[in-house]
Amino acid sequence: MSERLLNEIRATKPAAPPALRERVRTLGEQEPTRAPFLSRFEWRRLVLVAPAALVVAVVAAGVIGLTRDDVVQGGGDQMASSAGATTTATWDSAEIQRSEPQRGTLKGLAAPPATDNLGAPVAPVPGQLQRFEAELRLRVDDVEALSSATKRAQRIALQHGGSVASLQYDAPVEGVGAAQITLRVPTARVQSAMAQLSQLGTILGQRYGIEDLQVQADTLQTQIEQTQRRIAQILTQLESPTLSNENRVVLQSRLSASRQKLTGLREGLRGTNAEGRTATIYLTLTTEEIQPAAVGNSRIDDVKDVLAWEGIALLYALVIAGPFLLLGILVWLALRLRRRQIETRLLEQN
Amino acid sequence: MTLSARRQPTWSASFAATAEEHLDDVYGYLVYLTRDRSLAEDLTADTFEKALRLWRRFDPARASARTWLCQIARTTALDWFRSEERRQQREERAAAPEHVDAAFADGLSPYIEAALAELSAGEREVIALRVLLDLDGEEAARVLGISPTAVSTRLSRALKKLEEKVSVNV
Repeated sequence: MSERLLNEIRATKPAAPPALRERVRTLGEQEPTRAPFLSRFEWRRLVLVAPAALVVAVVAAGVIGLTRDDVVQGGGDQMASSAGATTTATWDSAEIQRSEPQRGTLKGLAAPPATDNLGAPVAPVPGQLQRFEAELRLRVDDVEALSSATKRAQRIALQHGGSVASLQYDAPVEGVGAAQITLRVPTARVQSAMAQLSQLGTILGQRYGIEDLQVQADTLQTQIEQTQRRIAQILTQLESPTLSNENRVVLQSRLSASRQKLTGLREGLRGTNAEGRTATIYLTLTTEEIQPAAVGNSRIDDVKDVLAWEGIALLYALVIAGPFLLLGILVWLALRLRRRQIETRLLEQN
Repeated sequence: MTLSARRQPTWSASFAATAEEHLDDVYGYLVYLTRDRSLAEDLTADTFEKALRLWRRFDPARASARTWLCQIARTTALDWFRSEERRQQREERAAAPEHVDAAFADGLSPYIEAALAELSAGEREVIALRVLLDLDGEEAARVLGISPTAVSTRLSRALKKLEEKVSVNV
């Protein structure tokens, strides 16, 4: 290409006529204001925003993980409810720390003073018929302490008017020793018993369960009264002199069945009342070592958990939005290609 | 012009000053694109009206004011081409398009003028951007919405064709 040709094109650059210049100048008199931040937002800045968002996510996970109450509680949680409903409390590892100072009480095998405030955090409601069950897991120092604690646990049950329902004792020369004792204690004194039992070692965990028996007892009582009334009716009918032999046989059969039912109902009520009067304590004594790192690590683990959940949420969002995003991109590309083709055609025609 | 010089923010520049500075560039580009000075005037005015509305969103960090104005001018011209095509189709005159007397600039040799008129709008616009306005490859690519390499190829072909036409006309 000759330079002369290009120079001529450059030298003869069209100049805007004065009328156009004036028209544009008039336009410029209405000076527009600058744009607010959002309208100047660039998608490219997302590249800067994305790492910042990542940092925020990590920091948020750290803050949530380190400050969550249940981390201190070792992940255990308790569910307590008002009287009349079932209550279950899961293993409560926090007791590990709270009970540490009590370890010395086992050394002299002296009976620790029973104090109400050391009893179960979930207690049966006085006057309400409830089935109360408790699980208590304690660590003792060694096999010797295990033996002493086992004896002491039986004594506590007896002192509270209870009994030992079952006992399994395993104390090898080496390794972990353990004893599993099932105690039956009057419900009215279960708190005191739990308080004393909890001082036999370091609490590794405890669980309580309360089930309302009052409704069951009331139902049984109602059924007993109904059956009694029914028996009375049958007896009255049987005294009638006009009763036919056939009907008499039928009524006597019904009377027999009702009496049998009444016996069963009464036994059921007695059993329910007995259950309500006696609490069951499942006591586990072990020489197993506590893993102190587990509590410390739980904070870091929880941070990891939160991060993992954030990742899962992000992945979920991507999985859901991905196809739509892909479709959108494809549509956009197709429209762009079509526009380009039209433009090329227009530019070739003109 | 260096990249840093082009990319310098001109937030302080007013719309009036920017329009005044680049009016000839936009007009010249549109003259070459449309081959019609009268039409180029109208399209230039339309371009600056649009630019006034969009001025709030203009970001000098992304492109120079000249590049930005050329982009608007191109869109305006393409819109006009499109509407003109529809109009011609409606009037069933597509087969016989209106002849426009090309008059690119005063002082341009008639054989160059004739050669330019024979080029397509796409060829003329790349010559306008790269030769007339002296935009670099990157700026021209931004206006045309293609890669700098494609601009280079398109320019090379357009100039070769122009030279051939000129040699025939001479």
